[in-house]
Amino acid sequence: MNVDNSPVVLEQLAAYNRDPRMVLQMLRGIQLARNGIGQADIDALSSSLNLPRTKIRALIDFYSFLHVGSRGVYDVYFSDSITDHMLGSRERAKQLCDELGVELGIPAADGLVTVDLTSCTGLCERGPAILVNGIAIDRVDEVRVNEIARLIKNDVPLEDWPLEWFVINDALRRKGPLLSSNFRLGAGIERAIEIGPDGVIEDLKAAGLRGCGGAGFPTWRKWDICRNAGGDQHYVVCNADEGEPGTFKDRALLNGYIRMMVDGMTICGLTVGASQGYIYLRHEYEFLRPRLERRLQRRRDVNLLGRNILGHHGINFDIEVIMGAGSYVCGEESALIESMEGKRGIPRIRPPFPVTHGYRGRPTVVNNVETFAYAAGIIAEGPQFVAHDGTEPCWKLLSISGDCSAPGIFEVPLGTPLRDILEMCGADDVQAVQVGGPGGQLIAAHELDRNLSFDGCNTAGSFIVFNSSRDMLDVALNFTKFFMHESCGFCTPCRVGTKLMMNVATKIADGHGARLDIEQMERLHKLMTQASHCGLGQSAAVPILSTYHKFPDAVNKRMEDVEYKPAFDVEAAIERSRQIVAEEVNPS
Amino acid sequence: MTGRMRIDGQSIPFLEGQTVIQAAEDAGVHIPHLCYHPDYEANGSCKMCTCKINGRQVSSCTTKAADGMVVESNTEELNAERRALAQMLFVEGNHHCPSCEHSGNCVLQSQAYKLGMTALIFPDFTTGRKTDASHPDILLNRDRCIYCELCVRASRDADGKDIFCISGRSENKSLAVNSDSGLLRDSGLTVDDAAANVCPVGCIIKKHEAFTKPIGQRDYDARQVHHNKFSQPRLPKVIKEPGQKVTVATCSLAGCFGCHMSFLDIDERIIELAEKIQFDRSPLNDIKSITGPVDIGLIEGGVCNTENIETLRKFRDSCRILIAVGACAMSGGVPALRNGIDVRELLEESYINGIGVTSAQIPTDDELPYILEEVSPIHEVVKVDFFLPGCPPPADAFWHVLNNILDGRQPDLPYDLLHFD
Repeated sequence: MNVDNSPVVLEQLAAYNRDPRMVLQMLRGIQLARNGIGQADIDALSSSLNLPRTKIRALIDFYSFLHVGSRGVYDVYFSDSITDHMLGSRERAKQLCDELGVELGIPAADGLVTVDLTSCTGLCERGPAILVNGIAIDRVDEVRVNEIARLIKNDVPLEDWPLEWFVINDALRRKGPLLSSNFRLGAGIERAIEIGPDGVIEDLKAAGLRGCGGAGFPTWRKWDICRNAGGDQHYVVCNADEGEPGTFKDRALLNGYIRMMVDGMTICGLTVGASQGYIYLRHEYEFLRPRLERRLQRRRDVNLLGRNILGHHGINFDIEVIMGAGSYVCGEESALIESMEGKRGIPRIRPPFPVTHGYRGRPTVVNNVETFAYAAGIIAEGPQFVAHDGTEPCWKLLSISGDCSAPGIFEVPLGTPLRDILEMCGADDVQAVQVGGPGGQLIAAHELDRNLSFDGCNTAGSFIVFNSSRDMLDVALNFTKFFMHESCGFCTPCRVGTKLMMNVATKIADGHGARLDIEQMERLHKLMTQASHCGLGQSAAVPILSTYHKFPDAVNKRMEDVEYKPAFDVEAAIERSRQIVAEEVNPS
Repeated sequence: MTGRMRIDGQSIPFLEGQTVIQAAEDAGVHIPHLCYHPDYEANGSCKMCTCKINGRQVSSCTTKAADGMVVESNTEELNAERRALAQMLFVEGNHHCPSCEHSGNCVLQSQAYKLGMTALIFPDFTTGRKTDASHPDILLNRDRCIYCELCVRASRDADGKDIFCISGRSENKSLAVNSDSGLLRDSGLTVDDAAANVCPVGCIIKKHEAFTKPIGQRDYDARQVHHNKFSQPRLPKVIKEPGQKVTVATCSLAGCFGCHMSFLDIDERIIELAEKIQFDRSPLNDIKSITGPVDIGLIEGGVCNTENIETLRKFRDSCRILIAVGACAMSGGVPALRNGIDVRELLEESYINGIGVTSAQIPTDDELPYILEEVSPIHEVVKVDFFLPGCPPPADAFWHVLNNILDGRQPDLPYDLLHFD
């Protein structure tokens, strides 16, 4: 078949050496270049990469930021995270739609713009946040929406928009060992070479470092299993797919602490015998990518990446950045690897775990940005790097947002009471705290004496504060919708369950809830928790149910104390018929 | 490693590399499943085969058997979860058994029977997925896809054709056909391909073969499987003073009265029944409206217009026990096939473009009920106490359930009386 490849497609094919495994990256490249993927692009990729069209189409339909057909010159997404809601994102999205005369989610007929919603973009402490043609802009208030509407209407190229809009600063409110570290570039690498893999494992073990992405698996064990796994090639993957709503601490590390993260990855590579590492960066963090790439190049220039690192013969390690394309599930390590391999991000059947069968089937360490950064500090300085007087070893970076006077990044020792954390961020009048994102724990005001802990009140970084003015059922609805939208759809309990859960939650919110609905929620929750394929489905029913248990008034005030109440709305059901009759009686 | 494991207390052997479900099937122990197939690599997506293995719930098709493993499978807890999974799949797609060519040979349906599924407790999703009838010999009805991915695996691994693939995510997931046009016609699929024969439901079916096996001889008709625990809410007891009869009312909404006809098929037993019950409103005695509170109400048909709603609500208010009878009452049934089609199109088809229509006009009289945007099952409008499935339910099922209630027992439905078509 003869296909005329457009320059954009040719550029993508060349950038990824026509490797079919990189098709997702190419699709993303085309999407960003043109704000849409055309049928001709699919044909071109299909014939050039010898991939079936349906498989390409399957990817486009899976990832939120890929679209068939043009989204316009400007593709605008408002972050739909609860923290953005609380800062007025829905009102701002409506304002922009009204200004531009478009409907949310529907490309303008003249091909100028699409305004849409997306899951949390990770600018929670500085919302409402948007992405324009893939680039983040924060603090989109009423005035800024007006300006944006004007720029779009006048077709002003993004490069000519006010530069200061694109500067995302990190509020580092409280610094611990990591945020105040000031090591020489490569300090940890030098010591890692000196003490060898055994020494690295020992230090990590002594420090008690556990995975900071949420699961809390001991880092030394992961690295140890990987280095002892057979095979010719091992891989190191940095999970920078920070998608948990309310989490933005990795964003700060990817902005100001690239040195630590890359040192950590390199040390991991030397330890587990990997010569290639990857950073899987979420699509929403495109704005961080150019600098990240520059830093990697600088490291190659000074021989901290590449062949014979620091002149040590045979010590080779390089890093490539792979981009996500909009899927929360890809934060799960096996789904992330599937995505890296150019597939839909469906969590694999485990065991085997990635640490023995990971990227391209090879043993792979997947760790969070923060884990690598701490590992770099621990190896550079020894286990005392993370020592503190508390009860649980190590520290944790928190991203605090919501109702507090000082939102931002806080580095605190594990074991810190939640009450102290709330004091640090200036939160008074606390009704609830969501620790660990939508699937984490909802903490009521009477539970604030609990401590931040891997085995108790655990979080990958998300820490959202709600004051007494917030309607907790609205919060739960936002979270439930998030899970429904992000479900990969692989397994029955999650694919159908998240939608059923949303139905029940909406029914209750609309004032049609009854006791049987609560029973149904409990049943669904049990089924989804027990039978779902991965953590998403297992936790998708948690928000609405924990809201019911911890804030019964938020739910009960919208319910009558009856056994059964239908959601059936007669007026809505006959609206169409009425309209037709009216048209027949008075033909226009 | 070979060894032995225990499943539901029974010790069974396994061979090196076998999964729990493989070992169980070899030993003649059935674990309910949909996406598992012995010829293909496990998928682990339907979650129907979930067992409690060493205390943790996992898919038995993806878990390797190990020596000393303790597996629980046929427990009420797990079967209740499986029943809920079957219900989820039923409401997610359009699984209207009475109008499905695959009924009687459908694995989803048979699993639902075995699990004692009698009601769809969840609200129906309207799907409106694209049907592909382009192929001369094979039909692809996507509304019935359960995403087991067996066709994907069969086409890739057995046929070497890689014709099917899963696209999208979440509720927008779909089964895609790999051809230039996206149509099955151009895909190279043939009737002999494994992929054309592996579908457990009525999604990929062969043309010219529908309904070839008569009812009673289909794959899952006659099998007397174990009498599974049956799950419906407990009914209140009907207690009468001596000499007083139990009162029963029946009516039909958007239905065909076929359920009533089937009821009459209890034949001379109706005399026996009449000694115990007194009929209130019913087409059987032509009483047009309910005269007072009755003990048991039987209602067939779905809810398709405002008159149905009014009738149904009144009926509900008058009946202590309300029984939804037949496929239309339970899921909308045949009338619900119109769901997803715009109301104007429906009215124009009936009143303007229909064959034999004279003085074509969409009726607008105030006295006429409005038709609803969609046909709904009755439990979405009022609370239903018991479901009697079937299209129609067999006469014996009416007899059995009514007698259960009259005898003060909780009704059940044995396998041979439980069918959806």
